[in-house]
Amino acid sequence: MKTTWDIIIIGGGPGGLFAALEAAKAGKSVLLCERKREMGIPVRCGEAVGKEDFANYLPMEPRWIGSEINTFIIVPPNGKEIKLKKDLYSGYVINRDLFEYDIAARAAEAGVQIKMKANVQELIHSDDGSVSGVRVMESGKMHEYYAKIVIAADGVESRISRQMGIQTVLKPENIEPCVQVTASGIHLPEKALYLYIGTCYAPGGYAWVFPKANNCANIGLGINGKYSSNTNCAKDYMDRFLDRFFPDASIQRYVTGGVPVTTNLKRLTQDNFMIVGDAGHMVNPLNGGGITHAIYSGIIAGKAAAASCDDPQKMKICFSKYEKEIYRKFGKNHEHQSKIKEVVYQMNDDDYNRIGGEFLKLDDSKRNFLNLFKQVVKHKPEFLINVVRAFSGI
Amino acid sequence: MIVPLDHCDHCGTCISVCPVDALMLTENSLIVDHELCTECLLCVNICPVAALESKK
Repeated sequence: MKTTWDIIIIGGGPGGLFAALEAAKAGKSVLLCERKREMGIPVRCGEAVGKEDFANYLPMEPRWIGSEINTFIIVPPNGKEIKLKKDLYSGYVINRDLFEYDIAARAAEAGVQIKMKANVQELIHSDDGSVSGVRVMESGKMHEYYAKIVIAADGVESRISRQMGIQTVLKPENIEPCVQVTASGIHLPEKALYLYIGTCYAPGGYAWVFPKANNCANIGLGINGKYSSNTNCAKDYMDRFLDRFFPDASIQRYVTGGVPVTTNLKRLTQDNFMIVGDAGHMVNPLNGGGITHAIYSGIIAGKAAAASCDDPQKMKICFSKYEKEIYRKFGKNHEHQSKIKEVVYQMNDDDYNRIGGEFLKLDDSKRNFLNLFKQVVKHKPEFLINVVRAFSGI
Repeated sequence: MIVPLDHCDHCGTCISVCPVDALMLTENSLIVDHELCTECLLCVNICPVAALESKK
């Protein structure tokens, strides 16, 4: 049985799959271990991606498209919908299970060996502290696999990075526990991303309704971890939300999960070890989106690993470049978003209702992000100060 | 003692807040290492579906 590869990747989400694909395309031997039994499932995700953003990385396939979206609708606590101007946003709600299944097939085609039900329990270390491989539990048997580079793509629940001395533990206020259902019979007037913002829905977070094909929609909700308790958890908020807006929803998929809402990890590499995607907290802390962040970090990490796995000197340079590139692409922006998030969630339900009411007085053609922003600033001048502060780095 | 309940969805949200790395997911279950666990209750409170219980 083969026990040695150039690169081992832990986790078969978008981050791990794209890292594997890139490294294999560059001619390296790659093993990908996924703990679960089926690629792409369960879909712990709202599945919304921006059209342009996604197109930066690969062309969209028709079968991945759940629906096409051209605007946002924000719903404040009083339930009065704020429709933003049409064509303000263009995106998709994707079928992430099919997407990941297909990318896994492409990775396999490129030569990646994929193992399912392969639970990486710990890293194997060399004497110098670097990593030489992984211990993997497969159907009750422990196996040892070796590689020159190990990439952790094991999601927000990543434990592996801690074994390299990288601090990944999230404080409760830096994670959003979420619950989502995919329901049918959801007849929405517009193909829009619906965002319900208010402490009555989801304190420190928001509820979302993202339409898919055939009157199905992902209906989900995330609250800030500091408001979560075992007597009032995300699911309790979700039950109340469904009762209020979709009491007859017929549910065909139910998932839970945590979304990191903080700045990215600064350290994404250590010796011959790399971190990609959610495991590196590469999620936009304001909106919780992270699919394309995982794809991009996977691509860059896979390339860097392939280019340097045979040369320790080059590895140092490539890994340092990887960290810098991720910070340039997302890190800086997420620091800003994180500060804006704090201001947005300091507001109370009256504030949201009042801002929404003023915005609704505007003519249809003027309902864009800039004018929404102006209304927010009018009611909460400190918002502007914080935005300026966020972007100027003061 | 922290015990996962039957309705645990194995999403791993608890793992990301555990300060002592006492939680681990296998393919279909959540395991608590009672030697490491300090019963700080962070996992109990963060769980999206309240599927962890502190038992005396």
